[in-house]
Amino acid sequence: MTPLRRDIAASIALVAAMAVVPLIFDTRYVITQLTVFFIWGIVVTQWNLVLGVAGIFSLAQMALFAVGAYGTAMLAYYGGMAMVPAMVIASLATVGVSLVIGFACLRLKGPYVALLTLAIAQMLYLIVVNDTGCFTNPPSGCLPLLGGVRGFSRFGDLGFRDLLGSKWFVGHYYVGLGLLLVAQVFCAFLIRGPLGLAFRALRDNPGYAMSRGVGRLKYQLWVFGLSAFFTGLAGAFYVAHFGVVGPIVFSVSMLLFLLAMIVVGGMGTVWGPLLGAAVLMIADEGLREVGDWREIGLGLVLAGFVILLPRGLVGLRRR
Amino acid sequence: MTTTDPPLLVCDSVAKSFGSLTAVRQLSFTAGRGEILGVGGPNGAGKTTLFEVMSGLNPATSGRVLLEGRDITHASPEAICHAGIARTFQLNACFDSLTVRENVEVGAIFGRSGRMLPNLRPSPEMQQATDDALDLVGLSARQGLVAGSLPVLDRKLLMVAGAMATRPKLLLMDEPVGGLTHAETDLMMATVRRIAATGVTIILIEHVMRFLVALSDRVMILHHGERIYEGSAAGLVQDRRVIDVYLGEGASARLAALLREGRHEPA
Ligand SMILES: Nc1ncnc2c1ncn2[C@@H]1O[C@H](COP(=O)(O)OP(=O)(O)OP(=O)(O)O)[C@@H](O)[C@H]1O
Ligand SMILES: [Mg+2]
Repeated sequence: MTPLRRDIAASIALVAAMAVVPLIFDTRYVITQLTVFFIWGIVVTQWNLVLGVAGIFSLAQMALFAVGAYGTAMLAYYGGMAMVPAMVIASLATVGVSLVIGFACLRLKGPYVALLTLAIAQMLYLIVVNDTGCFTNPPSGCLPLLGGVRGFSRFGDLGFRDLLGSKWFVGHYYVGLGLLLVAQVFCAFLIRGPLGLAFRALRDNPGYAMSRGVGRLKYQLWVFGLSAFFTGLAGAFYVAHFGVVGPIVFSVSMLLFLLAMIVVGGMGTVWGPLLGAAVLMIADEGLREVGDWREIGLGLVLAGFVILLPRGLVGLRRR
Repeated sequence: MTTTDPPLLVCDSVAKSFGSLTAVRQLSFTAGRGEILGVGGPNGAGKTTLFEVMSGLNPATSGRVLLEGRDITHASPEAICHAGIARTFQLNACFDSLTVRENVEVGAIFGRSGRMLPNLRPSPEMQQATDDALDLVGLSARQGLVAGSLPVLDRKLLMVAGAMATRPKLLLMDEPVGGLTHAETDLMMATVRRIAATGVTIILIEHVMRFLVALSDRVMILHHGERIYEGSAAGLVQDRRVIDVYLGEGASARLAALLREGRHEPA
């Protein structure tokens, strides 16, 4: 079996196993936490394409997620659009934003990419929270165009409340699972195929790759654009699932949490990011009681892996 | 090769400066189809810079480079690769985390054309080009190894395979035997001969004169970015300027002996 077939088979097996979970436990908490795992799973698999596979140190991932999330919320809130078309349009808009970011980073190396993308993310955050003028005045009070510090809520959903009643969250669980399956299979295709080869070649040695016919501009835009679609879609689904979105999606601790998932699991590998997401979300459950120590623990885990296990948990097996 | 063939490559008054330093000055030369052109000269003569210019990684300050009559002076490295020039590097370049096979596949998949989106999987021709290139340099048995772990000879061979997988018309080799042992040098020599036999034109930079004179149809010696000699390998040892600035008396005498021996060898 080729590695790609193995990855696809593993993805399907995993999803099949996950699909029976709601039939066994229907505790809302468990199902909802798993749905959140699916969302972060999508984000980290896509971020890994840019960060691990293409080796471009972009920290704009949560800003892209936010574009998908805010885009969906605003289309639904202001435009009264149904959730699904709003999610698709917002995801496409995320691709557009990502292409601009990819283009801006083209001539930059390593840490400068990290600085520029972080600056872009911060700028978007500041635009959102500093926007305080009332754009509309709903009964809940003044609402700035971009939602301000409060963000958006009350804008339609995926319709599972009508369909499944009190078990609506099970509907979201399956939607999230389906999206994760598609995102993961897409990643496996990309990493194992010619596009992934181009990304990895440029990561290892850009000058050499260019002299072997791999155009840097073209493939940098491909990786930014492709990974942005599912990232935007994850943001859109987050909005549909929670029914709210606020500036918290830009928080640095969120960004670090997701980065840690990739590093712990194994950067640049097909399965590392998902494994890391699972491990860190379980660890996070455990650390919930210790409050402030959570962030410190997270920082320590991240530092420990970078120093001791730079290839992550997946790298352990290969040695 | 007949003299009426237009040359494959024409460099016309090519110059390259880095600020106030002129690494290549007004250099004009041609390479004919199927020819092996050897390039020598002291350290810092501008040999590698000439390759940087031809391969588009560091374009010329002035002058023109033509491949089959097409101006490629300011084309991007990838476009020049697609046009048919492949090079190897003096400092062994490779994709360290990729396998040997993947290293060669990069050339086979991306080296031929600049399509917007590559195939979902390598086409049979690309697979074939990869297999052929690996066979050519004798790395087929090691194709699953991670390239970063290879010893120096294999890294050099891998670079050659990666270049050949692009199916070039012109192969630029920058010190292919620098740092290799005598036996390894012979192995590389046999490899270069196999490549030349397929009709690929080769420009070869090398300090190892034994290698350079054995392979080159014609030799060009550079010094301070200028050509001080162009002609047969045998003529090198009679050229006062080449002996003075590059070979030295001792090496020149040894080379002359080598050339005499070579002449008695059965072809
Ligand atoms: N990117 C660069 N920036 C500035 N100077 C450069 C650059 N590349 C080369 N040079 C200078 O240009 C001159 C020619 O260098 P080049 O590497 O072409 O020499 P070479 O003939 O290949 O020498 P060697 O035999 O040592 O490889 C040298 O003086 C070198 O310092
Ligand atoms: Mg050199």
